[in-house]
Amino acid sequence: MSYTVDINDAAKMFPDYKFVRPLTPSEQKAAFHVKDKAGTDLCLKLIAPNYERDRLDREIQALQTINHPNVVKLIEYTFSSKPGQQRHYIIEEFIEGEDLQKTLVPGKPWPVKDTARFFVTLCEGLFAMKEKDIVHRDIKPANIRVRPNGSPVIIDFGLARHLTLPDLTQTVDGAAIGTPRYFAPEQFDGTKHDIDHRTDLFAVGILLYEALTGESPFYNPKMTTRAQFRQAVCESTVHLTKASFQALDPKWKILLTRLLEKERAKRPSDARQVGAMLRKLGGL
Amino acid sequence: MRRGAWHQCGDRSQKLVEEQLQQKAGVGIIISPRDLSRKNAVAYAERYRALGAELLLDHQYYVPDFTNARFDSYPISRFRKGVSSLNKISDQDLTDFRNELRVDHEELKADAVIAPAVVYQAGRADVVQLNARLFAAAKRVAADLKLPIYATVVLGRSVTASDQTLQTMLSQATALSCDGWYFGFEFEEERLPSVRETVRRCCVAGLTLACTGKPVLHAYAGPMGLLSFGFGATGVAIGHSQNLWKFTCDRWIVSASQGGGGDAPARFFSNALWGTIIYPDETSQLTAAIRNQVLTHSPFSGPVASNLPWSRWDSGKHLVYMLAKQFSAMAAEKDPRKNAKTAIAVLDKAISLHAEIQQSNVFLADNTSAYQANWKAALEDLLKDNQGDFDFFDLMS
Repeated sequence: MSYTVDINDAAKMFPDYKFVRPLTPSEQKAAFHVKDKAGTDLCLKLIAPNYERDRLDREIQALQTINHPNVVKLIEYTFSSKPGQQRHYIIEEFIEGEDLQKTLVPGKPWPVKDTARFFVTLCEGLFAMKEKDIVHRDIKPANIRVRPNGSPVIIDFGLARHLTLPDLTQTVDGAAIGTPRYFAPEQFDGTKHDIDHRTDLFAVGILLYEALTGESPFYNPKMTTRAQFRQAVCESTVHLTKASFQALDPKWKILLTRLLEKERAKRPSDARQVGAMLRKLGGL
Repeated sequence: MRRGAWHQCGDRSQKLVEEQLQQKAGVGIIISPRDLSRKNAVAYAERYRALGAELLLDHQYYVPDFTNARFDSYPISRFRKGVSSLNKISDQDLTDFRNELRVDHEELKADAVIAPAVVYQAGRADVVQLNARLFAAAKRVAADLKLPIYATVVLGRSVTASDQTLQTMLSQATALSCDGWYFGFEFEEERLPSVRETVRRCCVAGLTLACTGKPVLHAYAGPMGLLSFGFGATGVAIGHSQNLWKFTCDRWIVSASQGGGGDAPARFFSNALWGTIIYPDETSQLTAAIRNQVLTHSPFSGPVASNLPWSRWDSGKHLVYMLAKQFSAMAAEKDPRKNAKTAIAVLDKAISLHAEIQQSNVFLADNTSAYQANWKAALEDLLKDNQGDFDFFDLMS
C-alpha cells in the first residue's frame, strides 16, 4: 500500500515551497512536485514514519554516490525532530516528463531505432550504478522517468543493494524484494548473495522485450498465482516462441535471449556491453 | 592481454622460456612462485621483458595452505593458509596482504594483476566469499598500479561434474567486476584429458567467460590449447611438462613421492599427430612416408632430422615451440567458430594419421591416440549445442 499525505497538509509543513501537484507515491514515500523560492522545480518526498532507517541510509548513500544524467540527483536529505514536529524528507531533482509506464503499453511496440536510442541511454545510467557497485533491484516502468527529450532517468533507490557494504540483515534470504513482474529468477529462488548487476539487466531485458514486441515475456493475465509467474520466469522459455518475438530481427532476438537468461553467467556482463550492442543494432 | 601463446612457467622452465622468446615463440609469460624464488623471478622478469614479452605473476592460491621453499621467498606467503583461516583474515592483515601483492607486482613490473583465488568447488559458498574478498584486495592493487585486473576462475572437479553445477558456479564467479579472466579447469588424472563430456564442459566454461566480452587466458592449457581459440580464448598458456598441460590440484598438495621422470626417452611432439611419439624407439618403426608426415620440425629438433640422439629438454623446447607457432596462427583469427573448425581439421588429420600408423602394425605408447577423437567430438558438440553463445560472441565483437 502506498504512503500518502494530503497535499494541503504537506504544504503546511513546508511553507518555503510551493506545492504544484502530488506525484506517484511509493510504499514508503509520498511524493510531490514542488517549486522552491527561486522557482526551481523539485521533487519532495516525505518519508513514512515506519520506514527502515538503515535502508534509507543506503538509499541516500546510493544517490549521493552516483552523479549521472540518467540517474536522479539528490538535492537534500533532512531528518529533524522537535517536540511535536518531526520532519523526514528527501528533495530530489524534478524530472520533467512522465513515467515509462505511460509509454510502455501492451500492444504498442516501439520503433526499433527509438527503442535502441532509449535503452542505450538507460544502460548508461545503469552502468554508472554498476561502477559504484549498486544494484537497483526494482527496475520497472514506474521507476523510470522519461524526460520530454525522451531520455530516461532511473529513480527510487529504496531497494538498492550495495555490493561492497555489509548486509543489512544476517539472513541469507532477502532476494525476493522488488516488483515480481520484473523479477529475475534469482529474486524468486536465490539468496541475496545471488543478486548483482545482472539482476537489473534481466529487468532491462523484460522492458526491452515489452518495448519491441508490445507484450510481456512472462506475464499473462490468465496467471492467478505467484507460483505460476515464478514458473514462467524461472523455468519457461515460451517467451522465445511467441510470434511477436519471432518476428524480430535475429540480432535483436540474440540480445533479448541473453538478457532473459535464467543463469546470470549467460547474461551480458554489464550495461555497457548491452549499450554497445544496442548502438550497433540501432545503427546509432 | 595479448592474443597468442603464453608461457606457463614451472618445472625449471625459466631458461627454456627465454629461448622460446628469442625464437619469437610466445607473447607473454606467467611466472610461477611455486617454481621460482622471488629473487630469481625479479631477474628473469627483466630478461623476459627485454625480449618483448608481456608479464604476469600467478600467486597460485589454488590450494592456499600449500607452500614450499620458493613460495616462502615471497613475503606474501605468510598468508598461505587454509580457506577457513583466510576467511577470518582481519582488515589489517588484508591491508598487509595487499601491500605484499603490490610490491611483488611493482618489482616484477607485471602488466596486469592476477587476483589470487582458491579453486572453486561445488556448494562451497565460503570459497566464493573468500575469492570475492581476495579479488577486491587485488583490484585495489591493480587500481593503485593502474594495471588491468584479471579474476582467477579455476574450476575444481566437483564443479565440472555436471552442466548445472558448472553454470551455477560460473554465475557466482563471473559476478566479479574484472578486466579479464585467468581460467583453469581441473580434469581427472590422466596424461591429457580425454573424456569427451568433460572436455566439452571445459569449452563451455571458457566460452561463457569469453561471452562476458573480457579476454580469457586459458591457464595450464598445453596441447589442449588447440581447442581454446575455438571457445573464444585470447591467450593460451603452454609449458614443456605434463604438469603444465592441465590443471590439477594435486600439484599443490605435498607429495611424499620423489617425482621425476627417471630416464624416460624423449617424446617428439608432432603437429600432424597432435600428440607425442617416442623418439627414436617409435619413430624408427614408421615407414618413411609416415615418418615424413609425423616429424614436423622446429629449430629445436635438428638432431631428429639427422637421426642423432636427442635430449628430453630439447624435446620439451620443440613441443613448446610447435604449440606456440600453431596457437600464434590461430590467434590471428578472432572468430571462435573458425578457430573451432581449424582445430577440428587438425584433429581429423591426426585421427587419420594415427589410424594409418596402426594399420602399419605400429602401436604407440602413452595412450597418445586416446583423446583426439574425443576433443574433436567435444568441439563439434560445442558448435552444435552452443550456437547461441557463438551468435552472442559475434554480436558483441
